[in-house]
Amino acid sequence: MKVEATLHGDRKVYSVSAFNRGVGSWLARLPTLWVEGEVTELRRQEGWQSVFFTLKDLDDGSCLPVSMPRTTFDALRLDLADGDKVHVYGRPELYEARGVFQLRGLSLEPLGLGAALARIERLKTALAAEGLFAAERKRRLPLLPRRIGLLTGNEAAAKRDFLTAVTARFPAVRVLVAETLVQGVKAPASIAAALEALAAEPDVDVVVVARGGGSFEDLLPFSDERVVRAFATCPVPVVSAVGHEQDTPLCDLAADARASTPTAAARIVVPDERRLREELDRMRTALGRDTRRIVERGRHALAADSLRLVRAPALLLERKRARLDSFAGRLRALSPRATLERGYAIVRTEAGIVRSASAVAPGARLDVELAEGSLGARVEETQE
Amino acid sequence: VSQESEPTFEQARAELERIVAELESGRADLEEAVRLWERGEGLYRLCVSKLDAAEGKIEELSRRAESVRPEH
Repeated sequence: MKVEATLHGDRKVYSVSAFNRGVGSWLARLPTLWVEGEVTELRRQEGWQSVFFTLKDLDDGSCLPVSMPRTTFDALRLDLADGDKVHVYGRPELYEARGVFQLRGLSLEPLGLGAALARIERLKTALAAEGLFAAERKRRLPLLPRRIGLLTGNEAAAKRDFLTAVTARFPAVRVLVAETLVQGVKAPASIAAALEALAAEPDVDVVVVARGGGSFEDLLPFSDERVVRAFATCPVPVVSAVGHEQDTPLCDLAADARASTPTAAARIVVPDERRLREELDRMRTALGRDTRRIVERGRHALAADSLRLVRAPALLLERKRARLDSFAGRLRALSPRATLERGYAIVRTEAGIVRSASAVAPGARLDVELAEGSLGARVEETQE
Repeated sequence: VSQESEPTFEQARAELERIVAELESGRADLEEAVRLWERGEGLYRLCVSKLDAAEGKIEELSRRAESVRPEH
């Protein structure tokens, strides 16, 4: 914009309005950025176009007037009060009517534990109600991922720790590393986009998000709704290894598994190759042993059968002989032999056994059978 | 990759485990046992060959993420 000056002799003179306009247009070319400070002198009224406050430097108390469209301010639904620490996103401008330099606020984020915690708590409640953290949403991690996606910041430690641990357990592991911003206002969008990009790569079966420890504020992006949703909707299982044991960023709740450190994440995503091979060998040994046992059992059963088969005729004969013997015994018991032994005799004629004296006449020939031997005899007389 | 015909490592290992348990229980008859054993041996060889074939590789994904603009 051309700013008109008038000449007073050799002096170029600007009107206040022209001057302000000139400075204003020059300021308008400066970039939009975030400014951190403490809110003081907050002024908001219904009917006003803008909300005004002064942003005070946290260290030396330098001041910066801020104006922000009231509708934008109200839409944030912040219960902002003097003394709150905030990040204001805006661009410098000149309020030309008054010649006042100010920051034109476009967005604002409250800083500080209290506000951030409250916001996270609200988000947690809302997302939990949506079922985003439900146990039945959790997916099982693959036993042996074809490829692991690793999402880290450019800090060396988390990445190195994970890669060291993962290759120690499974030397032939394939890892696709994506670096992303993990801190600052751009981080949430960056993390979400990188997660999506990683999961879309071929053969990536699981993604590990590794971020070393940091302050509460440092880990805030991992409680950002965009990141939490990206975890939940990721097409492959996500392992969260963000912060330290005591930290619970919301992404941990949406992840399919949580690891306290990048090293612990490595233990979760790949099996120990040596153990895996040992286990396979053990199973193979068991396989052979159990099969042999079943075959052996079959062989034993067969051997027993054949033995019975061989023995069967002899057994049958023996049984028959035993029965025969018992018959013989009974037969013997019935025979008159035993009676003869006691001194009795059997008297026969040619007509048969003599039971009555009248059956024979004197002079008849008798055959007398004794226990031992027999006699030939003649009847002297008979008595009836 | 013909996913239908060849099981993944995980599937193969899980089936091997089932087969071992089945044989261990001693319920299988002789014919079944021999069939299971053959199948188990095949699965074992498949698992080992998959482990042997794996090749370590660490790659970097281009930093597409950083071009993302803030939404304000």
